[in-house]
Amino acid sequence: MAAVATCGAGAGGTESMAAATSKSNVTSFQRRGPRARGTDSGGPRLVSIAGTRPSVRNGQLLVSTGLPALDQLLGGGLAVGTVLLVEEDKYSIYSPLLFKYFLAEGIINGHTLLVASAKEDPADILQELPAPLLDDSCKKEFDEDVCNKKPESDIKMKIAWRYQLSPKMEVGPVTSSRFGHYYDVSKRIPRELIETSKWHGFFLPEKMSSADKVECCSLTPGYMKLLHFIQNIIYEEGFDGSNPQKKQRNILRIGIQSLGLPLWGDDVCCSENCDSSHSLSKFLYILRGLLRTSLSACIITMPTHLIQNKAIIARVTNLSDTVVALESFVGSERETNPLYKDYHGLIHIRQIPRLNNLICDESDVKDLAFKLKRKLFTIEKISDALKWWSRRS
Amino acid sequence: MPSEGAAGCGRWSEMLESLLALGGLVLLRDSVEWEGRSFLKALIRKAALSGEQVRILGCEVSEEEFREGFDSDVNSRLVYHDLFRDPLNWSKTGEAPPGGPLGALRAMCKRTDPGPVTIAIDSLSWLLLRQPCTTVCQVLHALSHRTPCPGHSPAVEQVRVLGLLHEELHGPGPVGALSSLAQTEVTLGGTAGLDSAHIVFRRPRQRPTHQTQWFSILPDFSLDLQEGPRLECQPHPDPYTSPVDPTTHLTFNLRLSKKEKEARDGLTLPFQFSSEKQQALLRPGQGQAASHIFYEPDAYDDLDQEDPDDDLDV
Repeated sequence: MAAVATCGAGAGGTESMAAATSKSNVTSFQRRGPRARGTDSGGPRLVSIAGTRPSVRNGQLLVSTGLPALDQLLGGGLAVGTVLLVEEDKYSIYSPLLFKYFLAEGIINGHTLLVASAKEDPADILQELPAPLLDDSCKKEFDEDVCNKKPESDIKMKIAWRYQLSPKMEVGPVTSSRFGHYYDVSKRIPRELIETSKWHGFFLPEKMSSADKVECCSLTPGYMKLLHFIQNIIYEEGFDGSNPQKKQRNILRIGIQSLGLPLWGDDVCCSENCDSSHSLSKFLYILRGLLRTSLSACIITMPTHLIQNKAIIARVTNLSDTVVALESFVGSERETNPLYKDYHGLIHIRQIPRLNNLICDESDVKDLAFKLKRKLFTIEKISDALKWWSRRS
Repeated sequence: MPSEGAAGCGRWSEMLESLLALGGLVLLRDSVEWEGRSFLKALIRKAALSGEQVRILGCEVSEEEFREGFDSDVNSRLVYHDLFRDPLNWSKTGEAPPGGPLGALRAMCKRTDPGPVTIAIDSLSWLLLRQPCTTVCQVLHALSHRTPCPGHSPAVEQVRVLGLLHEELHGPGPVGALSSLAQTEVTLGGTAGLDSAHIVFRRPRQRPTHQTQWFSILPDFSLDLQEGPRLECQPHPDPYTSPVDPTTHLTFNLRLSKKEKEARDGLTLPFQFSSEKQQALLRPGQGQAASHIFYEPDAYDDLDQEDPDDDLDV
């Protein structure tokens, strides 16, 4: 049933393949834990760093975004050395959640964090990270969710009785999983976890003094400072391999919140023909260069609904690797549409990178919607009944 | 004091309080038809009457004109910084702080005693037309989120910035940028004779809530809440009413009666491995005729019974 697209024959049909690689997105095949892959994954980089796993397609090192559902849609996870751009929804209600999931996943896995923001103090952002769900409690969460959703699954199957004992189709929490954890949005992360983790914060109003009026090479000073900061951290802590004494390798997770806001000193949001129209593009280009040469992954949230010049949005999309856009129904006419009453918004996967590859892991599913339940953020495919309905009316 | 009864008195006070309670930037968007300075003055009056200090950056009208209509106790609580008379500081009296209007704003932010502070800017449009939008946004953000001064208690002190914005003067860019910074946004409008305020509360990490209030402003700048126009005409009929029922005109039966359900449940399905089937398979010949094969040969069929592989020397 799981149609494995590539390298199926080579890897051996008897091995169970990860759910992410199947074309249909509903398979109960689970990968049997990462084994020591000697030669077929290639590269000394894959000495296992906590919280990473090699992609089953091409051995690319992946980190989890903090949302296992999003990991599945992106082809297993976010590749190390790439940028995940999240286009913010209109009132910026749900995009901070994705940002926080990414950082929380970093804390749980013991990665180093670098949080940059012009709006909020990074220490405050870290205080509000969601708490991780422990194995027992999260199994309970999932069971009650599944029971609420499908009450008729209790009926004994009459025709397909052989499948009655097979595991459920949803990707449920795997006990003691090392990749992709579940979080409880209604609770805060325990302070001890933050205190034992290593993080660096960049809060723009503190770093900028009003005396700096240096305009160099058309990059706004705020971006310039941020790039220097990131470069320093990467160099000093040896994420680019520059410090050979370091035995234990680790991943640097960079989170930049609301890039492009006027608070950064960039006027892409203020006018259509802005003076520093190339500032944002340059920043992303240099940032990507820094990321590619180090063991780091970056999430950037950007309020693209405020950017006036659509050409800039296209440039920004091309310069980022993975692009996900959130569109919430708040305030739009879709809020009252009965089709969407179960969901809070739509999520669009705009771009998936082709890294060392000719094709990308693009999922067939285009109609994805998200919902923020009391404790979980879920991403679901809009059911076909609704799509049929929407075409009729 | 408002002339309405006790209910009306409480309601206008509540509404203004809710606007001021959230803190941060309160953006008042007005237009040529529905001017916002009176609403701004009503908010200032409310803040002053609750005992706070109100600092005003006046750019568009003179100080006398602004203070007109306020009672003396309200006026005594207002600290007015006048940029109207001499915006470029040509008279060089030495009063104006360095840095121009934004410097004046930053100075307001620093020189305060503990306690909630309200800063009113009349108007933000004036600032946006003379300063880059990014700088204005940065200064407003610094005002609303200022870190407490050393020596005072570490509790965050409430700073409210009331900004008047003439939205017709600016493109969607600056207006959008300021909206994203604002905690509360009030858009003034109305129909003939009645003013309305469409209020959007953006509490952090919560969904924004919308509210529309009809009001009129009395000469002493207190608010009088109104009911709203009687005929609320619906310009957009709900496009989702009366959907077509897809279950009409079907060629099959979607609903089963109880008897039909029982009959359906009693059916033995062909691939269901029940005990009867097992018996039937184990004892095939009992009472059943042997199965026949009926075969009609076609014109092209070869009825040669020989095995074609016999020719092979294998």
